[in-house]
Amino acid sequence: MLVPLSWLKEYVDIKLSPEKLGERLTEVGLGTEKIIKTNDDVIFEFEITPNRPDLLSIIGIAREIAAIENTKIKIPPLRPGFAGQAKPKKTLPLTIKTDSKINPRFTGIIIDGITVKESPDWLKEKLIKIGQRPINNIVDITNYVMFELGNPIHAFDYKKIRGSVMRVHQAKGAEKFTSVDGVTYRLPKGAVVISDSEKIIDLCGIKGGLNSGTFENTKTIFIRVPVEIPVLIRRTATSLSLRSEASSIFERGVNAGGTVDALKRCIELVLREAGGQIASELFDIKKEVFLPWKLNLELERLNKILGISIGEGEVLNLLQRLNLNPLKKTKNIIEVTIPTYRNDLKIEEDIIEEVARLYGYNKFPKTIPQGQIPTAQIPYLKDYGVEKKAKSILIASGFSEIYTYSLVSEKDLLENGLNPNKSLRVDNPVSREFEYLRTSLVPSLKKALIQNKPYFEKINLFELGKVYLGSYIDSALEIYYLSGITNEKNFYEVKGTIEKLFDDCGINEDPTRYIQIFDEGIFFELNFSDILSKINLSKKYKPIPKYPPIIEDLTIEVSEKITVRDIIAEIKKQSPLIRQVSLLDVFENSRTFHIVYQHRERNLTNGEVSKIREKILEALKKQFKAKLKE
Amino acid sequence: MEEELIQIKNSAVSLILDAKDKEELLDLKIRFLGRNGRFTLAIKELSKLPKEKRPEIGRLANEVKNTIEETISEKESRVTKQRFQELKEKIDTTIQGIRPPIGHLHPASQVLYDVVDVFKSLGFQTADGPEIETDYYNFTALNMPPNAPSRDTQATLYLDTRNSKVKPGEILLRTQTSSMQVRIMEKIKPPIRVIVPGKTYRVDDVDASHSFEFWQVEGFLVDENVRLTDLFGTIDYVLKKLMGKDIKIKFATTNFSFVEPGVDTYIECTVCKGKGCSFCKMTGWSEIMPAGMIHPNVLKTAGYDPKKVSGFAFAIGLSRLVTLRYQMDDLRLLTNPDLRIIEQF
Repeated sequence: MLVPLSWLKEYVDIKLSPEKLGERLTEVGLGTEKIIKTNDDVIFEFEITPNRPDLLSIIGIAREIAAIENTKIKIPPLRPGFAGQAKPKKTLPLTIKTDSKINPRFTGIIIDGITVKESPDWLKEKLIKIGQRPINNIVDITNYVMFELGNPIHAFDYKKIRGSVMRVHQAKGAEKFTSVDGVTYRLPKGAVVISDSEKIIDLCGIKGGLNSGTFENTKTIFIRVPVEIPVLIRRTATSLSLRSEASSIFERGVNAGGTVDALKRCIELVLREAGGQIASELFDIKKEVFLPWKLNLELERLNKILGISIGEGEVLNLLQRLNLNPLKKTKNIIEVTIPTYRNDLKIEEDIIEEVARLYGYNKFPKTIPQGQIPTAQIPYLKDYGVEKKAKSILIASGFSEIYTYSLVSEKDLLENGLNPNKSLRVDNPVSREFEYLRTSLVPSLKKALIQNKPYFEKINLFELGKVYLGSYIDSALEIYYLSGITNEKNFYEVKGTIEKLFDDCGINEDPTRYIQIFDEGIFFELNFSDILSKINLSKKYKPIPKYPPIIEDLTIEVSEKITVRDIIAEIKKQSPLIRQVSLLDVFENSRTFHIVYQHRERNLTNGEVSKIREKILEALKKQFKAKLKE
Repeated sequence: MEEELIQIKNSAVSLILDAKDKEELLDLKIRFLGRNGRFTLAIKELSKLPKEKRPEIGRLANEVKNTIEETISEKESRVTKQRFQELKEKIDTTIQGIRPPIGHLHPASQVLYDVVDVFKSLGFQTADGPEIETDYYNFTALNMPPNAPSRDTQATLYLDTRNSKVKPGEILLRTQTSSMQVRIMEKIKPPIRVIVPGKTYRVDDVDASHSFEFWQVEGFLVDENVRLTDLFGTIDYVLKKLMGKDIKIKFATTNFSFVEPGVDTYIECTVCKGKGCSFCKMTGWSEIMPAGMIHPNVLKTAGYDPKKVSGFAFAIGLSRLVTLRYQMDDLRLLTNPDLRIIEQF
């Protein structure tokens, strides 16, 4: 929201510099995003939090400044004895049928004999400074008073209200409505509207109708200052994707006690700038009285929650500056009376925040929590130890970590043989590029490799991240995958890296099935959630053998179709004294195996070893038609 | 006898000092101190001396032996050093070293692990929860009922519910890791100290400081007598540990439905050092850690009595913390897999 300093100064004396003022306002909760200096003014841009409809008005912001500056605001005086309070000279007919369940307060009046024209310069300038486009004096005055006081106001062309009837009701759904700016909408069911005897003339709390708007030839107006139900306004505005200044205020909860004052302010300005005279009673239809409400603040609780002790006098002073009318009830209890514009103050904690924010968060001391450190294990616990271990193995092997988006495109899936119909989809994606939840890390890793190719010859990348499985939302499953891609390492190097990872996690599994060979390089994808569930980090020391091993290399000739795994398994079967067998070399049809023989309790003799060796050769000959290479 | 010992000493020292390598030194050691060495043989004559002379000559013999041994060891170390120096001189040591081909841990992980460690030191355990979340845990349980205007500040990505029993709008991608607050609280009793790092999603245009996918670390503490000053102290401690003790921090009031009082935390922008840049929207400050005292309604939803326990909660913008720590001027650098970025870390 844009707010000119000059406008604020009409209601409050400001001693602080614009920068200091911005800083203090941010500290008390009115986020100052920008301070723009123009030739003759300073414009603040504020971010208004959703709980403070009152700050969508100049007077509301002036009140915050008055609290900070420890001064009083100057409410614009109404001209003494102005017509709104006197009996009207003539009365035009109007029947209002409303329902407090959908329209808690309906305040309004008819003014006859006005002249619609361009607004005076002072009014146009004010509106332009806050980013509004001047339209005509009547529309501008209603806007001006809304921005000044925070109550949205709408002026109808009285003569266009057929049958002189205004009936507030909810739309059945699909009715057509053209707003005052000429856009046609199909209304959702439940939208609160006003109809005359023939048609819908107002979409309450959001936009007025084109068919009853105030234009150049308008001579008589009906000014309405309502209180609307936040949820109803929000539902309609969301459904139509149609937001206005008025709807923002109503959604947050308008100052229900302020309608009459706003109407009077409006009448005064209309009579002054557009002439005419009041031509009806002042309608104020409501069931509730909309009075200020009371809350109790316990001083003990205040200091207990804040952690500092603010003296009673100081608390009373802070609350008074915020117009909360503090009254000391007992030694411990202060009663506050909440003005109707502070809809956000509902419970004691809200009042505690009021005291704290005006006292100044940055003046608070800092303490460290005193309580006991919880020792019970929490639900959803995540142990980063394993994650760190896995990552350090990959990093030591030359892989670098990347993070990519979980959301991918249909094209990403299709190009990698993944089925979009079996992937979870976002209903309202930010773009087609980020429509599906990934079911594999393949697409992003492959893309990442290609992206790096112009700059690097050797590329080794990995990502540890979630994939989202399940074809439909009922069966959605989030799992961590640990995947990598390399154009430098060969199959065996990748396999060895994963073998090392599995070894360190106490998992006894052949990683081959997790590895794929692509045109771009070698890719692996591990179910990391699965690793976490299988992991076994317990270790037990085995004494180092006291007696030396006998080691020999054995080269055999065997068909290339026989796998090394089968040969090693066959060799190991031949004697418990074979401690270790590994492949040393492959050349055409010959395979060299490195064999370690060892006895735990004594020295082995050459004779014993040669017997085992003969047994091995015999078995290999029988099983695989292998023979010792001469 | 005396003269002989002194002569042995002088001759040994001069020979040792002239020795060229380790072998020669070993040789000399044997020649003098060995079983048939000159010194050893000379010592054997000691017993032949008259009793009263023995102590004096004995002391001298000891001194001679020590001197020979010390000289040898000194010379030995000099010879060794010299040899190493010669070996080094044979190669060009100015050539850059061959570095092991080790990969790089992503900067976001480095910061995340630091965050986990800092909170661990304060007794916080780490949790992990679903990104595909219900409207209830993401909003309603956090005092944001359907149609609360506060939901507007978190434009939400909803999941396609076709072929399922779920109604549209009920399942979403969590907009905040705060969704884990009630999930955890309803399962255990205070005292609780938890952080929850993870991905969060919002409908947002991607620019230097925004993205539709980003990282948060939610944290909360519930106990008897938790105070607002504890929250300030915890934030101050953690941010200084993570960003350095000279970092400037300021607090401001704000409104989040699930806290009261509400706190926003800013740190001075490290990209521009507070001068104002596009990353901090020209303010010189970056919003890093919204927080507050947990709202009584949230405690009630979790089944706690707000008169008996209180708590604070915060959410660290992890992505933003990473960029601020390394003075990266664009959030998108974190999801860009360009090795020219990652190799810097």
